[in-house]
Amino acid sequence: MSLITPSNRSKGRRKGGPRNNENNRIYGNPLPVIFNTPTERPPIYKALGLFGIPIHEILNPHCEGFVDVATRSVWVSDSKQSMLLWQRGFFGKGDLSRSEPSWLARQINARKQAGKGLTSEEITAKRRAERKQFKLDRAQAIAAAAADAEAAFAEGRVVPTPGVAPDGTRLIPSAATWKPSTSLEEVPQLTQDDDDEGDGDTELEEPLENIEHLQLTFPEAFFLSWTLDCLTVCNSEGEPLTLAQVWTLFQDAHSPTLLLSIPPPQRRFDNPFLVNYAVYHHYRSLGWVVKSGIKFCVDYLLYKRGPVFHHAEFAIVVCPVYEDPADQTNSPFDLQNASPFSWSWLSTINRVNSQVQKTLILTYVTIPALSRLREDVLSSPACLAHYSVREVVLRRFIPARMRD
Amino acid sequence: MVVWTGRNYRRGYLFHLQCISSKWTYSSTSTARPVIPKRGEKDFEPTSAGGSGLQLHVLDRSRNAMFGALRATRTIANKSISYAVWYPDIARAHVTVARGIHFTAMGHSVARQNAAEDGSSKLQKRLELLPEEALYLVERGAMLCFKQTQADITGMDDIEGAPMSVQQAFAEMIGQEDLSLEKYQVFAYFRRLGYVVTRSEPPTSAYPAPPPLQVQKAVSPSVFQRLYSLFPLFISRFSRIWRRSFDWWRPLGLGRWIYYDMKYATIFRSLRFIPSGHSVPPKSTEPRPVTKSSPYKIFYNIYKPSTSFRKTAPPPPDFFVVVVDARSTVMPSLHELTALFDVLPETPPPLPRQRGVPSAKPPNINAPASNSPLAPTLQPPSLSLRRMFRWMLPSTPAPPSVSTQQQKPNPFAALKAGKRSAVIAAVDAGNISFFRFSQGAFEEWPMI
Repeated sequence: MSLITPSNRSKGRRKGGPRNNENNRIYGNPLPVIFNTPTERPPIYKALGLFGIPIHEILNPHCEGFVDVATRSVWVSDSKQSMLLWQRGFFGKGDLSRSEPSWLARQINARKQAGKGLTSEEITAKRRAERKQFKLDRAQAIAAAAADAEAAFAEGRVVPTPGVAPDGTRLIPSAATWKPSTSLEEVPQLTQDDDDEGDGDTELEEPLENIEHLQLTFPEAFFLSWTLDCLTVCNSEGEPLTLAQVWTLFQDAHSPTLLLSIPPPQRRFDNPFLVNYAVYHHYRSLGWVVKSGIKFCVDYLLYKRGPVFHHAEFAIVVCPVYEDPADQTNSPFDLQNASPFSWSWLSTINRVNSQVQKTLILTYVTIPALSRLREDVLSSPACLAHYSVREVVLRRFIPARMRD
Repeated sequence: MVVWTGRNYRRGYLFHLQCISSKWTYSSTSTARPVIPKRGEKDFEPTSAGGSGLQLHVLDRSRNAMFGALRATRTIANKSISYAVWYPDIARAHVTVARGIHFTAMGHSVARQNAAEDGSSKLQKRLELLPEEALYLVERGAMLCFKQTQADITGMDDIEGAPMSVQQAFAEMIGQEDLSLEKYQVFAYFRRLGYVVTRSEPPTSAYPAPPPLQVQKAVSPSVFQRLYSLFPLFISRFSRIWRRSFDWWRPLGLGRWIYYDMKYATIFRSLRFIPSGHSVPPKSTEPRPVTKSSPYKIFYNIYKPSTSFRKTAPPPPDFFVVVVDARSTVMPSLHELTALFDVLPETPPPLPRQRGVPSAKPPNINAPASNSPLAPTLQPPSLSLRRMFRWMLPSTPAPPSVSTQQQKPNPFAALKAGKRSAVIAAVDAGNISFFRFSQGAFEEWPMI
């Protein structure tokens, strides 16, 4: 079956299906910490169980990550921990992959040349190749039909409708009815490293080492280590950092004096880390999966359960609002979207997201005034209670269609 | 069947024709009626330099169709035309002869002093039009407007004044009574589609006022009220702080090993301590964050064509429109949006399509989405006790659920619709883009 045609699953199979059940099983936990009832039950638990008090044990996967200030991210190198963080809550992104760290799986597939477990990158590549072939076929058909019409006109005959043969069949293929003429046997090779010498047996090839790591952005890393306590952030030497050190490090990483060795200036409320973290925390606490939205000109995308289940429904644009305009003029950070932007840019973002059926949300974050609060409020996450988040939904309004 | 190729035809071409139809020219079948030709399929590019023979032929035919449509004279029957007199000093057009169905949705009656012949003046009610309404009818060709003059030049007794051309009408009426070209374009666009457009703020007392809207305004409370309700969640958490020694460095306190009835929902709920929602206005150090000259005020009330509209008692409007010039203004800031939303009523979340039996009356869906600043987290202590001894208590009936399966609103539809919405029309040199800004309520529809 061609990948570019819309899948025609019957309605009965939509809810169930082995793939959905598999996804529900693998990605069923929304957070890395999981609960389970302990298998060995001391008597006190049994007594409490009689009263109807369920006792849970919290399993905390203590993951470890290394901070990289230049890229403003935290790297998790252990592959088991990476998969765990991805599967429970969709945190992070593999640095050599599209989303899930699948570089190793792709290398194994490329070596074996067996398309059994196709990763998402391979599926995308296959679909794109098919679509390119379809477009070539269609262009040829259109050119042929136009040449026919032109010849008929030159001779003075009645010009037929282009694209329809005299017997009524359609000449120009459409995406719904096109089938690839030759089955694409070759899965497009993504890397051609050591296929020349390999011959299927792995003894002669060097063992594959997973060089991919999982990258967590600063808001994600802070959420994991602060609220859930399941991530330990280490600096480049490998020493684990305390939460207070992590808090200051994440803020200082955004200061413009980062590469100079002078200490950073006075801490401010409009640090980009604080503003972005407020938004990230707000939506995570409501149960949404928050991922980067750079692909659609926005800041964040909200998924209901995760990217593997359904496309994102909402696209978030973070608009910081200063309580005190003097803070904005004195600010060393140039926060994006702090001033209201022009209608043409708003129209652009809205159109891009409407094309992919996402609703644009403007999230206004109010930044407290420096004059109102003391600076030492910034030394702990207690300052987050002074921000506030408001949403405004933006949609196009088409009067011709709203008449009913 | 031959396929047309070429540009698309805009209906607007026809409406920019200049036409004066008066008593002297008799509109008859001698002038061809304008016909808007059918659209065809677009071709991608010329096949050879300048286009092939077939393409050029089709292009010529399309152009002739367009010029033919534009060349035709627009006419109106004598019996359908209305007459009006424009008074520049009061910026109103007084309709002397009203014909057609336009006046069911336009115009208002005003009592004016009418100087009778014998010198005494008495109040008489007459039909008057706002500048945009008059200009719309003149441009359409449905009304002939005369400008008020002192001398009688037409020689007709029933009509006084000098006839105005369409250009003169534009020049006279744009700029009067807070009407700009952008606002007129939005008005004309909605009227052509069939909507009823009225002004939100009556320019004079004689203009029928729109009905007062039930608004829950976010009033600026007293200092004590503000302290209590400023950060509703924060205050509720604060009370929890003293009970459970809340540590900002460990907001969940997950260091312990065993927990009573811990679920993901509990974890997520206890993480919601960042204040959110529109129920409290945003703070600002400036005394007036919204300047007086801000263009973001509701200007037009729009009613759908299907509603029965009575001029004397207008129903609640369907949409509220703000008109701005896209080149000279930027997007509204948060304070301007808040000021805009404050005057609007709330709309309940949209119900899903009724399948099978339609329900009699949708229940008040706003019950779960209560706007009271008291956080819902004050309930858990009593509920948990009840849950602990559920096996002992007699079976209590479950609290009546507000919504049955059919009537529960879809969270995504409710999130996308928002609570209050305003339409902002950004006019960019004649091109109008409509955007619907709604108040989002994500905190009322958590996913977990």
